[in-house]
Order: sequence, then structure tokens, then C-alpha cells
Amino acid sequence: MSDERPADATGVVRLVARRELVERLRARSFAVATGLLVVIILAIGVIARLNSDEGDDALDVALAGDVPAGFEEATGQIAALFERTTTITPFDDADGARAAVEDGDADVAVAGDAGQVVFHEDVDQQVLALLQQAWANAQVQESLAGAGLDEQQVTDALTTTSLEAVTIDGDDGNDGLALLTGTLAGILLFISLQTFGTYVLTGVVEEKATAVVELLLVRARGSQMLAGKVIGIGTAALLQFALAIAAALASLAISDIEVPGEIWSALPLTLVWFLGGYALYSTLFALAGSLVSRQEDAQAAAMPIMSVLLLAYVMVFTFGSDPESTVSTVMSMLPPIAPLLMPMRMAAGAASVVEVAVALVLLALAILVAWAVTGRIYEQVLLRRGTRISWRDAASLIR
Amino acid sequence: MGGLTKRYGALLALDDVGFDVPRGQIIGFLGPNGSGKTTTMRAIMRLVTLDAGDVTWDGAPVDAGVRQRFGYMPAERGMYPRMKLRDHLTYYGELSGLGTARARAAADRWLERLGLAGRADDTIQSLSSGNQQRVQLALALLNDPDLLVLDEPFSGLDPIAVEMLSDVLREQVDRGAALLLSSHQLDLVADVCSGVVIVDRGRVVLRGDVATLRAGSETRYVAVEFEQPVDWRPGPGSEVSAGGRRHRVTVATGADADRLIDEARALAPVVGYSFLPPDLSEVFLGAVGRDTLEDPDHERRVPT
Repeated sequence: MSDERPADATGVVRLVARRELVERLRARSFAVATGLLVVIILAIGVIARLNSDEGDDALDVALAGDVPAGFEEATGQIAALFERTTTITPFDDADGARAAVEDGDADVAVAGDAGQVVFHEDVDQQVLALLQQAWANAQVQESLAGAGLDEQQVTDALTTTSLEAVTIDGDDGNDGLALLTGTLAGILLFISLQTFGTYVLTGVVEEKATAVVELLLVRARGSQMLAGKVIGIGTAALLQFALAIAAALASLAISDIEVPGEIWSALPLTLVWFLGGYALYSTLFALAGSLVSRQEDAQAAAMPIMSVLLLAYVMVFTFGSDPESTVSTVMSMLPPIAPLLMPMRMAAGAASVVEVAVALVLLALAILVAWAVTGRIYEQVLLRRGTRISWRDAASLIR
Repeated sequence: MGGLTKRYGALLALDDVGFDVPRGQIIGFLGPNGSGKTTTMRAIMRLVTLDAGDVTWDGAPVDAGVRQRFGYMPAERGMYPRMKLRDHLTYYGELSGLGTARARAAADRWLERLGLAGRADDTIQSLSSGNQQRVQLALALLNDPDLLVLDEPFSGLDPIAVEMLSDVLREQVDRGAALLLSSHQLDLVADVCSGVVIVDRGRVVLRGDVATLRAGSETRYVAVEFEQPVDWRPGPGSEVSAGGRRHRVTVATGADADRLIDEARALAPVVGYSFLPPDLSEVFLGAVGRDTLEDPDHERRVPT
């Protein structure tokens, strides 16, 4: 007698998810948090770039007194081997050159008469070695010329082959950078899982606290409302997280630091860990929320879940120094820990493909179990308002 | 529906409850607090699983598809506090299967009808509780339901709002909807309803149309109002108001009321008099053999 469409499950889930997503996107806090996150991550790259511009590549040398002929040329050649450019400024006397270093106009001074290399504070071993080598080359060149060799002979005598650096375990690239990136990824994952898990938690509690859940339950099943909420908030979460990862990649590119291959692949893969972690934790947060009827009780009900998430977070730092240890390897495959710890180990190049695969399979299984358990309990407790339902009582509803 | 039974532990919340709600009629579902009204209404909306009994609509069991054609106003009012009125109504309309365009049209139509068109873009939490109740009613009406189930729709309303709500409800039954509304204030809604079902302690104790139930009572009241306070004691069942001007005498159905009124007129000047059947609440108390609507000897728990 009516032209209403019958209630179809995916349609209901889509409606619920859309409402949740729109609510998140409309909130000013979401836009502010996302913007802030992206700006901070980009800023790290920009700062790294500025530091490297000042510190590493360009070398200002103040030169005074007698130096071997060809020292300036030799300095430039040797510096090029270290991928550095040099600017050499001659001074009338050693005091002027020292003053230039003291004022910060030059990175280092070479006082030819005294045979000194003058640094401001700390001795930069690379710069010292570089100047030492140039000095020696120039001296040898001068000596050879003095011995009567012609220019070609001098050049031939000075032409040497350089040694190639190899490592026995293979080059891990930049360990410090990998660790930093992995740790930052862990922090980002923790913040996102915690933030959006809490959105799911308070969202479920809000529906119970305001009693709107009774109205909804005559139009949708509890599992549909749960799925819609998790998907809707998850879409907002994924959007923010993907922007953060894109910003991180851009930040690395901006920084102009030489980035090991693992990091370029580990960062986008962090999205997968985020999705898995979110699916697991948000479902459990929803379950915790369904057990209470007041926002004041929400944090207490979510304590066990929050504790596990926090534990995973701490492990990122605990095992940061030793990502290849056995304990770290085992821990990184446990479903509640994996989403935070495994990305760190992957960025550090410490995780094998098998370990990653095992962790992913276990995580998927854990999500299925969490979903099944929550589905059993959720609908039964949504209309039970009043005092908080204990986890033990909730467990008795699974059967 | 019939044979509805629901237990909560040792408590028998519904004990073989059964009645009909025909199209085009407003049925009042009445009883004291904790008598099982909310549980019954939740059972109709399939929100509680029954231990026995079944709910049918047009002869078929109420499944999710049939329920989609029902409108429901829960006893516990509930909406998303931070959503805007129009968004909230549209969302619920879509959940009710209307599709976006029709849901939005229905939302605007009901906001207009209930005098809230100017507040369409305000949030629910910014509304007064009376206006929130209007939105709650609109949520139940959006899909032009075949059956309306309204749990205590009149509670907390001022007389003007009661009047407006009554008009809206009459429109609904005129269009052919069946309507079940509950109230713990038995006499308040008696006028709106064409029939009532009265429950107590999970059992149906009375049912029928209000006039017949009242007329069927064994007692009548003769009420007399004098110009001045008068000491008049015509029998054991007589009561006097505080000022001493209004008197009410309880008599049997067949008693000679004219004789009593003549007696009163002979005593002192009379302003007015009436001969009436008892109120619905008095019929109810007579039927369950108590003197108060409260349930003193039976500690009941309302499942909320």
C-alpha cells in the first residue's frame, strides 16, 4: 500500500555512515586538527632543509698567510668528493681570518703561516680531513713542481683511485632517520587511533545517553548502526591520516635528506596498519561505549582498551633502539600491538615479509572476532540504560 | 495482538496482554506507572523479545518491513542534541525509507505544520522542551505511518500544546491511521480516545469505549452546589468540599437521584447539580479494588 523502499541493509549502513562523516567534517575541530597536523609535518621537512643548507653543503673557508700553490683548487676538488661546495675568502692576516670564524662569516679558517685550521667551537672532523687532504695534495704538487716535473707529470703523479665503501650486512641507509620516521609514524598512529576511537566511544554513549538509540533501533539493526558509525568516522579518520602521510612524504622530499627506500614504502603502508588498527580498536571502543549510559562513565568503561593501545604506543619507544630483537619481533605480530609497532620496524628495515604477513593475518582474524563479539553484545545492551554494565556481565551475553 | 508475555527475572512484566488497534481509531492505553505500557509498546515496535505471544498487523507478523510503516514516539524522548531540526528530520525520514527528496519535503511539511519552520536550521538542543517534543512527534509522523505508537505523548505539555497535539492526532486517524497512545493519567486522554485498554500489573483489567465503561459502573455520583455552605449528610457515601458549598453523594446505579436533589433544594438555595457516572480512574480503581492509582503492595521495576 506504499511506495516506501524496504529497509535494505547496505542502504541503512550508508545513511548512518554518511551522517557520521558529515558530522565530523562539519566540526571545526576536525579541520583545525587536520590543518595543524599537515603544517607541523611539513614544517619539520622545511626546518631540516634549512639546517642542511646552512650546515652541511656549503663550506666557507677564510684563508690567511702563505699556503701552497693550488691549495684553493685542491680544496674545491676534495670538497666535491664529499658533495660539498666551498667558498674561499682570502684575508690579509690570521687575525682577520679568525675574526671571520668568530663572527660566523666563515665556517673555518686556515692560517698558513701558523699551519693551523681554526674552528669556532667543535672540530668538524670531516672538514678537517678535507682541508688536510687538500693541504697535502697542494704541498706534494708544489714539491713535485719544484723537483722539475712538468705539469702533465705532476697531474699524473697526483691522480689516484678512490676506495669504494661497502658493508658486510648491506647498507641500511640512514638508521637514525629510519628510526625517527618509524617513531613519528608510531606517534601519528597512536594519536589517530586514540582520537577517532574516542569519537566512536563518545558517539555510541551519546546515542544511549540521549535515548535516541530507541528511535533508531526501530529503523535499523544494532549491527547496522555500529557498522555505519565505524565506517563514517573511519572515513573521516582515513582522510586525515592520508593527508598526514602525504604531508610526511612531501616533508621528506622537501628536507632533501637522502631517504632509504624502506621509508618511502613503509610510510604509505602505514595507511594499511591504520585501517586495521582502527577497525579493531574502534569496534572495541564502540562495545565499551554501549555498556554505559553517561559520558562520565565512558572513559572508565574504555580503560582496558585504552591501556592496551597505550601499551602498544610505549613499545614503539621501548623497541625503537632494538627493532630486530626476538621480543620486538613477537610483539609486533600481536594484533593489538602490530598496528603501532610493525610500521616502526618496517621503517627501520627490521621486519621480514613473512613477519608482516603473519601480523596482517592475525590482525584480520582479531578484527573478525572483535566484530562478532561486539555484534552479539551490542544490540542486547543498547536499550539497557542506567548503571554501567560490567565487562563480566557483557561477556555473559556472548553465549 | 494477543498473549503478550514478558518476564524480567522474577518479575512478570506482561501477563497475557492482548488487544486490537483498528484503523481510524485512537486507542488509549492506560494504567498506573509501571503497569507494563512501555514494555507492550516496545514489544509492538519489536524492541523487546517476548517470552510468549505475538504482534500482527493486517494478519501478518510484524517484521522489519511492516515496522517501517509504523511511527513511534518512545517514552524516553531522544534526539541528537547538536543536529539541526531539518537535518535530523530528513535523516530519520531517510532511515524510514523515504528517499532523500521525499524525506526533506516531509521534514519541511511537518516543521511548517507544527510551527517550527522558522527554527529549521537551529539545533535540537537550542529548543525548549515543549518544542523538542513537537520535533519528537514529527519524527513519528514523517512517513505517514499506518500505525502510530505514542508513549505518553501528552506528558509535560501545556494546554495549548495538548490541543494542538489532539488536532494532529485526529487528522492522522481521519486519514486512516491506527493510533495507540499511552498515559498514566487516565482521565486526561479519555476525551481524545475512541476506546481504551487499561492495564495494571502487566494484565489488561478493562477495555472498551470510555462511555460504555463509565456507564457500566455500578455507582453514580450526585453532585450539588449550594449558594452558601450547608451541613447536609444524606447518606454514608457523601463527601463535602472544603468550603462546604459543594457536596457529592455516591449512589447505586438505580438509585432515585431526583429524590436527593429535591431534598437538597428543600434545604437551601442550589446553584447547580449533576448526576454522572464515575471518572475512568474511579472505574479503574473499582475494578482492581484499590483506593489509589499508586501500587502500594507491589514493588515494580520499570524496564528502561
